[in-house]
Amino acid sequence: MEWLSAHPGLFLEAVGDHLLLSLTGLAIGVALALPLGILVAHRPRLAEAAIILAGVLRTVPSLAVLAALLPLLGVGFTPSVIALALLALPPVLVNTVIGIQGADRAALDAARGLGMTGWQRAFRVELPLAAPLIFAGLRVAAVQVVSAAALATFIGGGGLGDLVTQGLALLDTGRMLVGAIAIALLALGTEALLGMLERHLAARVRGA
Amino acid sequence: MRRRLLLAALAAPALARAAAALRVGSKNFTEQLVVAELFAQALEAAGARVERRVNLGGTAIAHQALLAGEIDLYPEYTGTGLGVVLKEPPEGDAATVLAKVRAGYAPLGLDWLDPTGIDNGNALLVLPETARRLGLSTLSDLARAAPGLVLAAGNEFADRADGLPGLRRVYGMEFRRFRQFAALGLRYAALRHGQADVVNAYATDWQIATYGFAVLADDRHLWPPYQLAAVVRHGVLGDLAPALLALGPRLDNPTMQELNRQVDQDGEEPREVAARFLRGAG
Amino acid sequence: MRWTVRNLDTVWAALLAHCGLVAASLALALVVALPLGLLVARRPGARTAVLGSASVLYSLPTLALFALLVPVLGLGFAPALLALVTYAVPILLRALVAGLGAVPPAVLDAAEGMGLTRRQRLFQVELPLALPALLGGLRVASVTIVSAATVAAYISAGGLGSLILTGLDQGHTEKILVGAGLVALLALLLDAALGAVQRRLPASG
Repeated sequence: MEWLSAHPGLFLEAVGDHLLLSLTGLAIGVALALPLGILVAHRPRLAEAAIILAGVLRTVPSLAVLAALLPLLGVGFTPSVIALALLALPPVLVNTVIGIQGADRAALDAARGLGMTGWQRAFRVELPLAAPLIFAGLRVAAVQVVSAAALATFIGGGGLGDLVTQGLALLDTGRMLVGAIAIALLALGTEALLGMLERHLAARVRGA
Repeated sequence: MRRRLLLAALAAPALARAAAALRVGSKNFTEQLVVAELFAQALEAAGARVERRVNLGGTAIAHQALLAGEIDLYPEYTGTGLGVVLKEPPEGDAATVLAKVRAGYAPLGLDWLDPTGIDNGNALLVLPETARRLGLSTLSDLARAAPGLVLAAGNEFADRADGLPGLRRVYGMEFRRFRQFAALGLRYAALRHGQADVVNAYATDWQIATYGFAVLADDRHLWPPYQLAAVVRHGVLGDLAPALLALGPRLDNPTMQELNRQVDQDGEEPREVAARFLRGAG
Repeated sequence: MRWTVRNLDTVWAALLAHCGLVAASLALALVVALPLGLLVARRPGARTAVLGSASVLYSLPTLALFALLVPVLGLGFAPALLALVTYAVPILLRALVAGLGAVPPAVLDAAEGMGLTRRQRLFQVELPLALPALLGGLRVASVTIVSAATVAAYISAGGLGSLILTGLDQGHTEKILVGAGLVALLALLLDAALGAVQRRLPASG
């Protein structure tokens, strides 16, 4: 912990980079997954294809995704963020599709009876009903992204992983442990916080 | 040959050694393995029996092996000899540094042969297009263009006397931005993808040959020379020294980049690469 | 592709090392998770505690866990193995406990009525019924471990990750792509194979 008190600036910068990487990657991933999920949910063939694609993407190791982008996109922030977005995509996509498909038939029929268009139904009925499941996907995605952002250091993306790799390279155990503990706390904190929100949300939807 | 055998038979111990195998060592990276093979095969071509004791580890280990008489020679860089072994500041021009290491090694019973044309020191690289567009061939040229360029280098480059502070002091060089990448491969990727305009590397890296990067000349001698030469236990070479010295002028940085590339990128054995070079160029 | 063609032995060795690391950690994780799961499945207090701490272990990012183990165990195979077991155990444990929990009480009563001992009931009734769930856990665990073992190269445990990392260090595109491609393929194949086994099991439970 001496390293931390000696270099608070470096530490905060690494935390900032880590959060920026994670949030940007997560935002892009969700921005892609959500509309894609809404679009394919009512087209059984496409929905199945999307779920298979998500399964493949989920199975490919994070380090492989990051490394494979280097020859295409070079080093640093951009390829790291794109890799993180790719990792965030599958859980949100799958849960959106399943959530919408599982939305209550009776509620949908009622919406149709009220003369709602497809998009109106999607936003006013299906999405609210699917929200708890989508949020669960978001939680999984967020934890994965915060974890994988630690690997961005290998392609020059910065973040807390830098402290770990520098620590190991310089035989500076303090720096390495500060990085490792911070990464672990960030991931566990994300999981706990979003888990709490998720239970809150589920209770409200059930109550409504 | 017959004369040597005869003398050896007369049992003068010092001379008997000349007929025994010469033990060629090396440190543990590609260039060292290739050059050790070149030395070994050149000596074999001159009629010597050679034993290879390569891949010994870092500078300290190779040097200890030489002192202990476990090897008879290995390739070393003048700047490394001065800085790491003799622990003197590696400063001065090529001739001065060579004179210093020769003087410093002599009491240890070790000789530096005349260096090859290889000088594997620090280097700043740019894309060939950048060099053409901005008319860059030396670091002095770069100093003019630097305020518009991004430099990528290792983590320690910002603070080391021969890094940014040295560039500032000797060339008055100020870059628009400095990005740190510990891994050399990331610096090369940054250069290729236009995420950095200038990167710090080493002059005989094979990536320079592969991607055709332009190496800018250190025209005001900020960096010490790292000329590659054979360091030899005094007297073991006998009349074989010319065989090694003949290699020197045939080796230069572009040649070494290509030989390193054949091992690292194509996955060939140092032995094959050395043999083909000796056949082709000899 | 010249490097790959000339270094098939290196690539093969990396693939084997990777598979070895994955197989060893899965086996060890099964050895830990099976008895532990059986022990806690019928004890609600212990179950909550074990599952809770297991999910914390599972949420630890790979690089962080490896880095935390370095000062204690050093570099190489042993800390990598321990870290990978740490990932696999919670997944297997959760799957086993869920599988055992889903066995209908009526079935258990029937088994008791037939005069089976506790041991017989476990091996002839409960475990076979929990097998599909356990296999599902094994599938998730193996994909997770293939992925985490890639990062193990960073603490010198070898495997396909070392191709990726040396490729990144050298700027050797071919090494990066061969390493990343093989590890992705390995994960997909393992997932597909265990998925196929899962589907061939009689649908039960």
